[in-house]
Amino acid sequence: MEKIISIKDLNYTYPEAKRSAIKNLSLDIYKNEWLSIVGKNGSGKSTLTKLIDGLIEADSGTIEVAGQIINEENIWEARTKIGIIFQNPDHQFVGATVEDDVAFGLENQGMPREEMVKAVDEALILVKMADFKERDPQSLSGGQKQRVAIAGVLATKPQIVIMDESTSMLDPDGRKTVLNLVQQLRSQQDLTIISITHDIEETELSQRIVVLNDGQIVSDGKPEEIYDLGADLQKFGLEEPFTSELVSTLRDTIKLPDGYLNEEELKEQLWKLHSNM
Amino acid sequence: MGRYLPGDSLVYRLDPRGKFLLTFYFVGIVFLANNVASYAFLLAFVIFAVFLSKINFGFFLKGLKPVFWLILFTVALQLLFTPSANPLWHWGIFTFSKEGLVIAGYIFIRFILIIFISTLLTLTTTPIEISDSIESILKPLKKIKFPVTQVALMLSIALRFVPLLVDETTKIMDAQRARGVDFGEGGLIKRIKSFVPILIPLFVSSFSIAYDLAIAMESRGYKDGEGRSKYRVLSWDRRDNIMVIFMAAVTGILLFLRSY
Repeated sequence: MEKIISIKDLNYTYPEAKRSAIKNLSLDIYKNEWLSIVGKNGSGKSTLTKLIDGLIEADSGTIEVAGQIINEENIWEARTKIGIIFQNPDHQFVGATVEDDVAFGLENQGMPREEMVKAVDEALILVKMADFKERDPQSLSGGQKQRVAIAGVLATKPQIVIMDESTSMLDPDGRKTVLNLVQQLRSQQDLTIISITHDIEETELSQRIVVLNDGQIVSDGKPEEIYDLGADLQKFGLEEPFTSELVSTLRDTIKLPDGYLNEEELKEQLWKLHSNM
Repeated sequence: MGRYLPGDSLVYRLDPRGKFLLTFYFVGIVFLANNVASYAFLLAFVIFAVFLSKINFGFFLKGLKPVFWLILFTVALQLLFTPSANPLWHWGIFTFSKEGLVIAGYIFIRFILIIFISTLLTLTTTPIEISDSIESILKPLKKIKFPVTQVALMLSIALRFVPLLVDETTKIMDAQRARGVDFGEGGLIKRIKSFVPILIPLFVSSFSIAYDLAIAMESRGYKDGEGRSKYRVLSWDRRDNIMVIFMAAVTGILLFLRSY
């Protein structure tokens, strides 16, 4: 697999903070994978995003984005390869209307207007928000606003999309729509997705999970492996996913196969219990 | 004034720059009117413009509401204090005369004209169009290094965040009410004091919104406003030329009626 982001021995301490936010962190992220970074508040996950996008400067260590070590000179170029969807949909909406907001990133690149109009339309179709083109942000739901934010990021054709707690302020329906959309876009547009969350339930669609605690990686593996840590997750301030908690409780009384079961697999096991077939 | 009302008519389709400048121009020439004929003519023009906009007349009357007391006060002042050689009625410092009546009438019509025409601008032009117009009109100032595009972006972001801050204020007020703050009671000082617990959280949250937005803008490649292209473009059409010519004709007729 081809590496798209390669982080080596990264260190960062916030000005006037006693503890460092990121400690000697090394991490390789591969092309087209969906990586979830989980950790409790203050574990350093948002700091890591800002470091990758060069919004803050590391004390030491290197970050390589698409084969190029980022520094002050090429940071703007690196940023065109990375799109970030932030947590609060209201705090990242720059334009007065949906289409203006999607165009913002393109305006920054100085794209000629005719191309811009096309790119905005295409991006809005991808996130299924084309009908809302002329609406103002205040009239949209949280999930719709995040879809517009995704369109704004996609319009600039990035290779990497970082979701920094982007679904944490949405209702369950909005969250589901946004996550499924991202999943679909990942394969369609050959994107690499890095999603950052404190809620382990949101990592279901990812292929790899990195657990961050006190600025260090404490665990790195496939979702099943991470969910299997069970009660160990609580050490890092994370809650065990509901299904895996349920499975471990059920194991005391009924016989279930070893390893992690997702909701569907668990259902599959449970309905068989009272069947005589 | 009023808030933008989505709609479609000739007035909506006019270039906002033209509308913006001509509204100011019209407010200026209103002061040239000096007799019944010229006021009647301007009133006819405004009613014609309102008719062209296809907006319900009620919205314009609503525009009068906030300045109703100001109008009443000014008109009353003119009615009672205009000096006259042959007053119809005289009592102490008050004088009521035919001249006073006429001047009060003129002032009243002047208010109506100015308020209706500016309401017409704000009802048919989105805030963002107005901010685009200001940017376009101020463009020459770029020569003296005035950051026109940055100021315009600031203006449009400010406009964009007004409703968000209003929501934020309501939320804070509710939160403070839940803690027992009463906003509607007590003397003036007490009431003003009760706004402190709204203002401080509002300031704090505005700063945090500003910080988040700045990070979001930077991550989307916003540098310093240079080398940007523009998605929204204003287009000056033939109908805008016609509007300017029409306005010139209105001025001509007004000047003629003045000396009539």
